[in-house]
Amino acid sequence: MSKNPFPLDKQGLLEAYRTMRTIREFEERLHNEFAKGDIPGFVHLYAGEEASGTGIMMHLNDRDRIASTHRGHGHCIAKGVDVKGMMGEIYGKAMGSCRGKGGSMHIADLSKGMMGANGILGAGAPLACGAALAAKFRGDGGVGISFVGDGASNQGMFLESLNLAAVWNLPAIFVVENNGYAESTSRDYAVAVDSYVDRAAGFGLPGVTVDGTDFFAVYEAAGEIIKRAREGGGPALLECKMIRFFGHFEGDQQTYRGKGEVEHIRAQRDCIKLFSDKVVEAGVIKRPELEAIDKEVLKLIDEAVATAKAAPMPAPAELLTDVYVAY
Amino acid sequence: MAPLVGIIANPVSARDIRRVIANATSLQITDRANIVLRVLACLKASGVGQVVMMPENGGIRHHVRRGVERSRNLGEHEFPEITYLDMAITGTVDDTIRAADLMRQMKVGTIVVLGGDGTHRAVVSRSGDVPIAGISTGTNNAFPEHREPTITGLAVGLAVTGRVPQTVAYAPNKKLVVRVNDQAPEIALVDVAFVTERVVGARALWKPETFRELFVTFADPEVIGMSAIAGLLEPVRRHEPGGLHVLLAPVEDAPLALTVPIAPGYMRPIGIASWQKLVAGKSHGPQIAAGSIALDGERELSFSERDRVQVALEENAFRTVNVAAVMDHAARHGLMRRAGLMTMKRQVS
Repeated sequence: MSKNPFPLDKQGLLEAYRTMRTIREFEERLHNEFAKGDIPGFVHLYAGEEASGTGIMMHLNDRDRIASTHRGHGHCIAKGVDVKGMMGEIYGKAMGSCRGKGGSMHIADLSKGMMGANGILGAGAPLACGAALAAKFRGDGGVGISFVGDGASNQGMFLESLNLAAVWNLPAIFVVENNGYAESTSRDYAVAVDSYVDRAAGFGLPGVTVDGTDFFAVYEAAGEIIKRAREGGGPALLECKMIRFFGHFEGDQQTYRGKGEVEHIRAQRDCIKLFSDKVVEAGVIKRPELEAIDKEVLKLIDEAVATAKAAPMPAPAELLTDVYVAY
Repeated sequence: MAPLVGIIANPVSARDIRRVIANATSLQITDRANIVLRVLACLKASGVGQVVMMPENGGIRHHVRRGVERSRNLGEHEFPEITYLDMAITGTVDDTIRAADLMRQMKVGTIVVLGGDGTHRAVVSRSGDVPIAGISTGTNNAFPEHREPTITGLAVGLAVTGRVPQTVAYAPNKKLVVRVNDQAPEIALVDVAFVTERVVGARALWKPETFRELFVTFADPEVIGMSAIAGLLEPVRRHEPGGLHVLLAPVEDAPLALTVPIAPGYMRPIGIASWQKLVAGKSHGPQIAAGSIALDGERELSFSERDRVQVALEENAFRTVNVAAVMDHAARHGLMRRAGLMTMKRQVS
């Protein structure tokens, strides 16, 4: 076997694959299950975008905090939130991560540094600034990371957060997951500034653009940005150019997409396939090792769905619990 | 035939990790559009009536359109007629390659290129006999010379309208050709580096411990990036024959350590094992069995023990507009002069 040429050892590469594969399987399954009508509320799927969340989160520990978006399942899984608890939450069951009261867009697990998916667009950015400020005060080298889509990147909260992070030199990182569409509106139409690097420069922080479908591009760039933030180098913006396999939400007819667009991106820009081909071609990992992970992941998701379906709903008496927090 | 000039302006250069690790510049889209407007005004002033541009969705086109419209409303500048190539836009380097191909087929007089070394390389891969004129809007930019784009636009106009003799206006350049197995060859305009990382990753090179070998077409101690290593060892001019071949090693394993700006403001000690002149036409295989090939400072390809990799220097490979020579000729031959109003009045009376 040749020497491993990748920036991760074999165990790390397998972990990255397992995370991306788990996200993909989780989302593909939700796509099917949601159509059956058992799941309350809306779901927004992260399939196709796995390399971004995974490549970033592999540099983080449980003390580092992230603020996610409405499309948060992938961020949760990559940050280490329990998959069965997540599935239970999405089904609105008492065993869910938030006792079934939050649903898809509010999954949180503070023990893992996951401050929550967020149904309010752009609202994660000030939360990440808060987490970053706390880490700076504690001096523990922690970082706060906010994810936004290209649509939410136009929100005032997001722009104010860029300013605040620069002024206070916070260990905050703003990840723009640019999948080209704000719901159904093209990024080219709706984002007045032509480049996110320009937008960052306007607030006095460096910006970097990477191919978000290339795990190694994300992993390497995020590694430098996070290291810089931990060491006092301040905030930065990372744009991951990516694609989503499904619609904005489940049920989206996607009439705004070009003919053959989804088929093309699935065939040419599938981040998991690109990753697998690379590590197998280099001789570091054998195809059967990946297939073994596929089977384990499939079993995990099967169990998660079965457990969630069988689990009880929260009791009516629970309605007003967990609503307020006493400090 | 009225001279036609092509412009390829890349909206996505200067966006990589070097903004974080090295405080590199990030030229805003509006500034890139302003450069295009300056070039256009000078082309018109020197007699170029038609320009064809690469279409893109990065914003340059819209700013240029607004700039032309505002100038027209204000009666400020005159611009050539602008058309855009009829091509699909992918937002990748493929657009640059396709645009260069189409411009060559249209027989444009010169292609003006805005971008970094990578953009220039993409253009040269398809521009054939068409000369290019480079304007630096990238990060390291060893290839395009640094000067005010106004002068580049003026020199291009003087060259394509035939007011400066071809032998003065255009200069031959060297390139490096990289062959991997039987695939179509890749080229580099300034440098080819072999590094031990096998992933293309974030593309840029900033970890000297991974550098193993370097080939350069020219070695200028005034540039930054990989070619600066060669430039600080033994300068080789852009238009002289031959290049330089440098074997690199981790500093702790090398007989010589050279301090080099390998990115903007980013000085690092580089371990040098040995170096020698690079003669055109001779193929060289890499010293390492597996790794990545960086073309003009960015990792583009990876290779393993199973691949056969060859690098060779080629001379007289393509032409560039020799801006310095054109402007010198223009000054010495009075190309920018015309009779002053006083003389004209005297002739009338």
